Amino acid sequence: MARKSFMYSVLEAVQHEMQQDDNMIWIFELTPPVASTPGRPVINLEREFGRMRVVNTGIDENWMAGCVLGAGLAGSKAATYIPYQGNCMCFQMLQNHAGKLRHMTGGEAAMPVVFVLEMTGQTPGFAGQHSDYEIDTYYAHIPGLKTVIPSNPTDAKGMMASALQDPDPVVFLYAAGLRDLIEEVPDEPFTTPLDKAAIRSEGSDITIVGSGGGMPEVLKATERLQAEGMSVETIDLRSLKPIDTETLVNSVQKTRRLLTVDQSYYTLCPGAEVIARVAENVDGARYKRVAFPDAPPPAAPEMFLWMRPNADHVVGAAKALVG
Amino acid sequence: MDEHIEQSTQASERDQVTAATRRTFLKAVAGAGAAISVSTRFAWANGEIGFWSKDLTNEQLIGMHRTIQRIRWFERTCVDKMLTEPGYRGYNHFYVGQEAVATGVCAALRNTGGIMGADLVYSTHRPSGHAIAKGVDARMMAAEYDFRATGLNKGYAGEMHIADKSVGFIGADGMIGPGPVIATGSAFAIRARGSDQVVVNFGGDGTYATPHFHSTLNNAALLKLPFIYVLENNLYHQYAHYSYSCPLKDIAAAARTYGIPGVVVDGQDVFQVYNAAKDAVDRARAGEGPTLIEAKTYRYYNHWGGPGAKPGELGAFGYDPLAITSFRPEREVRAWMARDPVDISRDALISWGVLDRENADEIEGAAKQEMIEAFAWADEQPLCDPEDGLANVFVEGTVASRQFG
Repeated sequence: MARKSFMYSVLEAVQHEMQQDDNMIWIFELTPPVASTPGRPVINLEREFGRMRVVNTGIDENWMAGCVLGAGLAGSKAATYIPYQGNCMCFQMLQNHAGKLRHMTGGEAAMPVVFVLEMTGQTPGFAGQHSDYEIDTYYAHIPGLKTVIPSNPTDAKGMMASALQDPDPVVFLYAAGLRDLIEEVPDEPFTTPLDKAAIRSEGSDITIVGSGGGMPEVLKATERLQAEGMSVETIDLRSLKPIDTETLVNSVQKTRRLLTVDQSYYTLCPGAEVIARVAENVDGARYKRVAFPDAPPPAAPEMFLWMRPNADHVVGAAKALVG
Repeated sequence: MDEHIEQSTQASERDQVTAATRRTFLKAVAGAGAAISVSTRFAWANGEIGFWSKDLTNEQLIGMHRTIQRIRWFERTCVDKMLTEPGYRGYNHFYVGQEAVATGVCAALRNTGGIMGADLVYSTHRPSGHAIAKGVDARMMAAEYDFRATGLNKGYAGEMHIADKSVGFIGADGMIGPGPVIATGSAFAIRARGSDQVVVNFGGDGTYATPHFHSTLNNAALLKLPFIYVLENNLYHQYAHYSYSCPLKDIAAAARTYGIPGVVVDGQDVFQVYNAAKDAVDRARAGEGPTLIEAKTYRYYNHWGGPGAKPGELGAFGYDPLAITSFRPEREVRAWMARDPVDISRDALISWGVLDRENADEIEGAAKQEMIEAFAWADEQPLCDPEDGLANVFVEGTVASRQFG
């Protein structure tokens, strides 16, 4: 057990898989597969496994995604880390190829590959292209792809291990805003299921559902509401496809109130899917959605920080729903 | 000399019209060029293309030098603010070191008349130099960089998305790839409507790897579009040397694949850049199609912001925590700084008798003062109204706030 960042935790899982499987490859640009943490060895995949298996490419996310897909089709485990600037440049490869090939070929095509897609949404000042977060909605919509979104270093390590061991293509959404999170993470390899939400706190007045980069503010709001006497059940989705409907339904059957929180745009945000699934299964519940407005993120911090959902927004919406 | 480039350059139609007088002229200027240039290693364009800049008026030549200084001091004022004022919120992908490229290219363009009249420029995430050279107001840029409501784009843009249609500056773009493809769309529209405008896309060495680069040149060549791709090869895309993403030494050699002229110029020498740009613009306006210009250049700062820089000093040296893959050695930075575009332009104009030292110092002093005042003006501008974030999504109206549930 040592204190580890999100990146260190992810790379620890990748390193273990690459040590177990001599065929596995890792493709990156801009973000080197390098991480360190006090008291533990530096991880540098490029140095450890060499440039035959670990390659820094040019700025071509289309190729990066296609490369790991092709590696998978040829029988090798493969993963790529695509920085947020290019997380939709590779859309076609995932939407029309990775997600469909197994089905289109009647099960012939196998793709044991992981697409680590970075997403931002946390940085005021950079404007639309470098502040967006909406890809959770885009990728979760694609059939044939598992889409997961861990919100802390421990889940990141366990879910990366599961993703790399999974025989199907997995989109591993990496919220860049969580880079600074550091916590105690076990050193030994372990796996975390790719289809289970996590209940972060149990309660009976309201269910609050969030995911990924939005979770720190959701947890902050949870603490504040609990301090004021509200009994809050907080759920971290962790997986957007499949969505853990059972956990969500069980919770709202108890609380009868559901508040979803997303950094994604309001229209078709993951919370919309959560509410739809719960509404199909629970009678007489009340609902609210907190999300980013249907506008690109503006550069000016005054505008951006006002628009991005935060703990105050969650607290206000929860009180409106419970009160 | 790269054979491919020589062939493609010589094969271009404009060489058919080379006049004997120009040849004589070139011999004369070759001597002058050697006298002012510390090194001719990158001066491959010399002698292959017209030395058009010699035909410019003194006012135009001095104007180019002034533009170089204005870009230099816009950037230096900005980096000093970043380093010394903890409350300053602006950031910049600094263009310092590359000033001669934007200046030489934009001096060959028509910079008034709006999107229906001016030549159009597509810029990058490193837009300050392109914008200033195209004629964008530096005060408005400074205000935009600090997200002020009265900034060039009302605080929505920041550095990476500035745009000003009035001078044909379509704008900066934070992404690597799509820009040039979109630029060819503008060129297509211009050709379709019978306009004589041309479109310039600035891009870096990193763009070579993108599929968009090749789509751009292929379609521009197929359709003979009035399009110029100015590839500023500053050796590094983000934090990696361009050898990580391009197998060619000279990216201009790629032009041959698409059957268009590819020209390598010394991007530190504004006159060479102008000469190459003038040739390309003339070709494009005459309906002869696109050109790829590779300007060999260098940025004095790291990819983003001011790590390694000191207030009041030019350049950034030492460790950039983000530069894990390719670290830029200090010797490399200093070697490039020894061929500074400001000095090359200044020394040439003095040796040609266009400027004396006193005039040159005055130009620098005025540029510095202008930029100090621009950033001071920006500091006084009002901050944005948070609710304005819901506007400008469409022409009319605002979208609903959704963050309150």
